[in-house]
Amino acid sequence: MPIVCENLGRRFEDVAAVESVSFRVEQGEFFALLGPNGAGKTTTVHMLTTMLKPSHGEASIAGFDVRRQAHEVRSVIGMVFQEPALDDRLTARENLQIHAALYGIPGRRVKERIEQALEWGQLANEARRMVRTFSGGMKRRLELARALMHDPQFLFLDEPTIGLDPQGRRHLWESIAALRGRGLTVFMTTHYLPEAEACDRVGIIDAGKLVALGTPAELKTSTTGSTESTLEDVFIELTGHQLRDEEATPRDRLLNFARQGGEHTR
Amino acid sequence: MIATGEPLPRVNRSMFAPRVIWVMWRRELVRYGRNRSQIFGGLSRTVLWLLILGFGLGASLRQIEGYSYAQYILPGVVTLNVLFASLQSAIALVWDRQVGLLREVQVSPAPMLSVALGKLLGGATIAVAQGSIPFLFIPIIGVPFSVTKLLLAWAVMFSMGVFLTAFGVVLASRMRTFEGFGSISNGVIQPLYFLSGSIFPIRGIIGGVGFLDIPEELRNELARLGVYAIGGGWVVQLPVWIRVLVFANPVSYQLDLLRFVLLDFRQLPMVVDLLVITILPVIAALVAAVAMAKRS
Ligand SMILES: Nc1ncnc2c1ncn2[C@@H]1O[C@H](COP(=O)(O)OP(=O)(O)OP(=O)(O)O)[C@@H](O)[C@H]1O
Ligand SMILES: [Mg+2]
Repeated sequence: MPIVCENLGRRFEDVAAVESVSFRVEQGEFFALLGPNGAGKTTTVHMLTTMLKPSHGEASIAGFDVRRQAHEVRSVIGMVFQEPALDDRLTARENLQIHAALYGIPGRRVKERIEQALEWGQLANEARRMVRTFSGGMKRRLELARALMHDPQFLFLDEPTIGLDPQGRRHLWESIAALRGRGLTVFMTTHYLPEAEACDRVGIIDAGKLVALGTPAELKTSTTGSTESTLEDVFIELTGHQLRDEEATPRDRLLNFARQGGEHTR
Repeated sequence: MIATGEPLPRVNRSMFAPRVIWVMWRRELVRYGRNRSQIFGGLSRTVLWLLILGFGLGASLRQIEGYSYAQYILPGVVTLNVLFASLQSAIALVWDRQVGLLREVQVSPAPMLSVALGKLLGGATIAVAQGSIPFLFIPIIGVPFSVTKLLLAWAVMFSMGVFLTAFGVVLASRMRTFEGFGSISNGVIQPLYFLSGSIFPIRGIIGGVGFLDIPEELRNELARLGVYAIGGGWVVQLPVWIRVLVFANPVSYQLDLLRFVLLDFRQLPMVVDLLVITILPVIAALVAAVAMAKRS
């Protein structure tokens, strides 16, 4: 059973972060949600992964309703958030140990799973290092390996390559691409068009509305009338040239504060 | 997917997952162990309050109900360390939610009640450790001490730690952003500390050497009212509004019990103390679990 959402929407007080989106993602498919800043990508992913309650509409994953069967949904998905969700005062291995406990990986399998994850993320030699000493790319690899540790059927990635250098980006993308053909369904959001180009299908979201949906080739022909164009042309065509200025959210303010050195509560 | 070998079994869904409680508890302790500045903070607070204020103010105050001022504030300084440790653990949740592990926990199938319990037990354990720092100075201030007293004090401190961490968790879950521990320290910790009878007595007799002794009849009269005069001196008369605030502060009762354990001296009804120490942490823990599980 795939990912299905029907008129899914979410409001924050008076702003509609996601107005109403409907789409399906089939089993084993790689799906990319594209959109400018503030388009509602994160909000959509958070509703699908039970992190946010939808204001209206329905969504289900593998047949489980994201509202009423949150526990079932959570057991079959793996998630990488836009901002790292690691404990950076713990080592890579300690972070993975917590993950194993949260997902109830049986005790005798934990060690093997952790070694495999570290191996897969090419972090075997850094397992005992505190995560706060990791580069952005290493953190991403760790998070991706962690999200796969419990054999999810669905993988959600919210801008997985943001903030990475071209090498890190390529490496991460190759790791994701290597998961193809194993029955894993991947739902990712991105700003970065070459990544979307490599996905089976792409949805373009702007101001909380899905403005296009199809394979990259379909989108090119239907929007610009030429298969020679790039997804970037399609993207600009559909979402306009206007810059998206956003007010700093509380999280942005906190992140800025963290970057400036933070506080002793960290 | 990246793994080889047989597939993993399905996650079961019970509210109570000892392993989740264990890893969350351990996480708090590992973080504490790696944070030398917290231990240093506890030590410097103890020196400031217990030694400098204790002996400094003690020089002019002489005695409170027969106890030296440093002895009198010992339970208060323990409480201050418990307050700081609990609220620091709890407020770390604001970070945790935005840039840390909490979202990883929320998106997992782990039961939030167990996650919250691990967090609270961890916070309380750290509070007991931090709150024990003043005990190192007991030989200097001269209070009779024993293993039984230590264990009883730890029990009271642990309950206090669970309650205060839970209280802080509820507070943290209402904070969208966080730009400094100062507001928590000034707005929460200090009022709770000052208004708990920690540094001044709620009632009793202050004075001692140099004061006129209280006549025997008056002493008996006072004893009937629950005021036990050991030395002689002034009867404490707090303004009504301060009394009201002190009585409304749950920390007053926890501290009162702690003082009873450490000094054998109590200013509030024992029954209330015991009720506060046993019931409040349980209620607060449940409220905290709900607050932590809440999805926006
Ligand atoms: N918790 C919140 N409270 C109020 N408004 C919010 C909240 N979360 C998101 N929004 C608003 O909803 C809109 C969509 O936000 P969202 O984070 O989903 O965008 P996004 O496409 O992920 O953007 P980005 O590319 O910057 O990550 C934005 O206008 C944002 O300000
Ligand atoms: Mg986003």
